[in-house]
Amino acid sequence: MTTNDDSETDPDEAESDDGEMNETEPDDGLSHPTRDKKHVRALTDGDYADMWVFCETQGGELLEVSKEMLGKARELMDGFEDDYGDEEDVVAFLMGDDCEGLAEECIAYGADVAVYHDDERLERFLHKPYTEIAAHIARGEGTVESTDWREYDKPRYILFPATNNGRDLSAKVQAELDSGLASDCSDLFIEENEVSNPVKTGEPGVKKTVEKVLHMKRPDFSGFEYSTILCLDNPDRDFHPQGASVIPGSFEPLEPDYDREGLVVEHEMDLPDDWFRVEISDYDRLEAGIDLTGHDVIVCLGRGIADDPTAGMELGLDLVDAFEDAELGITRGIVTSSYQFEGHVEAYSKEERQIGETGQVVAPDIYIAAGVSGAVQHKVGMDESDTVVAINTDTDARIRDFSDYFIEGDLFEVLPRLTTAVEAGETSLEAEAVADGGEDDD
Amino acid sequence: MRSIVLTKGVPDFSEGAVSFDEDGHLERGKTPTVMNPNDEFALQAALQTKIRHGGHVTGMSMGPPGYADVLQDAMASVYTDDSYLLSDRELAASDTWATAITLSAGLEKYDEEVADVDIVFAGFKTADGETGQTGPQTCWALDWPIVTHVIALDIDPDERILRAKRLVEGDVDEVETVEAPLPCFVVTDPEFEPTYRTASHRLTHKELRAKTEERAAEHDDHLTTWDHTDLNLDPDYIGLDGSPTIVSSVDPIPKASSDREATMIDPEDGMGDVLEEIQPYAAEAGE
Repeated sequence: MTTNDDSETDPDEAESDDGEMNETEPDDGLSHPTRDKKHVRALTDGDYADMWVFCETQGGELLEVSKEMLGKARELMDGFEDDYGDEEDVVAFLMGDDCEGLAEECIAYGADVAVYHDDERLERFLHKPYTEIAAHIARGEGTVESTDWREYDKPRYILFPATNNGRDLSAKVQAELDSGLASDCSDLFIEENEVSNPVKTGEPGVKKTVEKVLHMKRPDFSGFEYSTILCLDNPDRDFHPQGASVIPGSFEPLEPDYDREGLVVEHEMDLPDDWFRVEISDYDRLEAGIDLTGHDVIVCLGRGIADDPTAGMELGLDLVDAFEDAELGITRGIVTSSYQFEGHVEAYSKEERQIGETGQVVAPDIYIAAGVSGAVQHKVGMDESDTVVAINTDTDARIRDFSDYFIEGDLFEVLPRLTTAVEAGETSLEAEAVADGGEDDD
Repeated sequence: MRSIVLTKGVPDFSEGAVSFDEDGHLERGKTPTVMNPNDEFALQAALQTKIRHGGHVTGMSMGPPGYADVLQDAMASVYTDDSYLLSDRELAASDTWATAITLSAGLEKYDEEVADVDIVFAGFKTADGETGQTGPQTCWALDWPIVTHVIALDIDPDERILRAKRLVEGDVDEVETVEAPLPCFVVTDPEFEPTYRTASHRLTHKELRAKTEERAAEHDDHLTTWDHTDLNLDPDYIGLDGSPTIVSSVDPIPKASSDREATMIDPEDGMGDVLEEIQPYAAEAGE
């Protein structure tokens, strides 16, 4: 099939491209170009290679997650060569003010090639210039000197960090490159895939095997499930690079090897003033947020508080106060819930207190999980605790499998009794007292 | 000041509402739909802007006809003036690229035919797909300035500038102060806190609430629905056909191998074992 021009075009030229595409499309009754086509910069039967990694920086240093992604990319592309016999590269790309040294550092952490764009206006992330530069580099545009190391149309794969800025950039760059994206991935592997989706195969009832597919695993549905996302070509429209953003901490960086040799390339491109309409007038280090690590005791609340979220939060906080060195954490289920918390406890329902794969990882002496179901992505965040006490009405709850003690009961009843006992210095509650006790109003 | 807030429906993951089948998969048909929790921050930001500077706020959503209920909730809770739903079968199974194309088409049509838009507000991740991509990708399609992870904002109507504080997470977390020209796109962070500084702001808030209760009760009269032909979209480039990514598999969270043997505790038996473990960590009496 004909390869369409994939160069970035200005709006007027995009309109012309619409005309070209209309000539090759069957008439579907629409008499004029549709809005969507001006956004499509499609290729068919293009040439793709290499795994690219956007290396985010902060304060003149590579972020830790940038090094982690380079390590994973190195591992994947070494495996790629073993599996397919083709040697393809890990390509780091980055931009900033005075960032050539960081490009060298990317080589040490596993990249074969590092492409950088240096401009003082890029010291801090800005959506428009970062997107335009990244897409320009990925398409191999620029001077002959800065692009003669490669011969393909676009990268085969591309990774971004799932930080606030990296996630935004991944969304925009993949849109610009006319490809797809899986966000917040915690695992990646390259494998063939047997496809039966007719949109991808071109005809119903047929299965096709697609090689060299990046499988992108991510927690989904608030941590209840893992999804594997694939970015696959349609029959008449390629979707490359196959893209992912990666949760920080998912992978291990390589030990840096500063003797490692690679190609460092400076990218050249004019940056119009119009790209800098958003201005950053000031910035400050954020006051330290909630740090749940390093406490002796963590009390964690989960969806079991649903019947009365405010009361549940209050009971959890009361138990925290009964300990010398304790803090309150929550599960992702609470962060993404529609629960209405009253003002005095609402601050404790924020994402910063979340424990789990996409939150904090804690390892206290005592971990008390109240009303926590035990999703595996939560387990990642608390599994190193010395002693785990779970409180749940459901004896089949998954949390039981990684608890030392499982208290079968309603947290609304159990928590206040634990609090009372700890405050009183008791190491047992008399059965007699239990018989006499009813629900106490706190 | 003319604002649009993008919002969507998601499964209600509250205990007792969410439904899973025997294999552990979400049963979407049996789970009620609610407004995406993060979109409430976007609606709060739009309301704050309206209270301070006046103007009109429109709720916009993309999805099945039932999402009209989500837009009605938005009207009732944070006082949107009217609602637009982008809905038809051709839009089903859109990934974020196809969703962004559709939403941007809706925004462009609104801007051309209804009123010039000053700000579009969107929430961060949805509780189901949790990609966080749709806001930036929609903004990419519009080619507007964007500020994301906004935790505080205000508008200077005379200079037509948005000023905002935004969160940047890295190895060190930071707050940036940002200025962007209008029209622009704002994605709120879950840390966003609306502020109503003066007595007159709070009075305006109260007046808006009274008017809106009336309007929300007759939501159908304030709802406009556009399908793909209204939006001038080619079905080959939206919905599943226009989506680069597919979900290859959805796996229930694997049951973690048991590496601890839980001692079962009946609270009626006094919980002595647990108390012995945790008592050493008790706070000193009187603190």
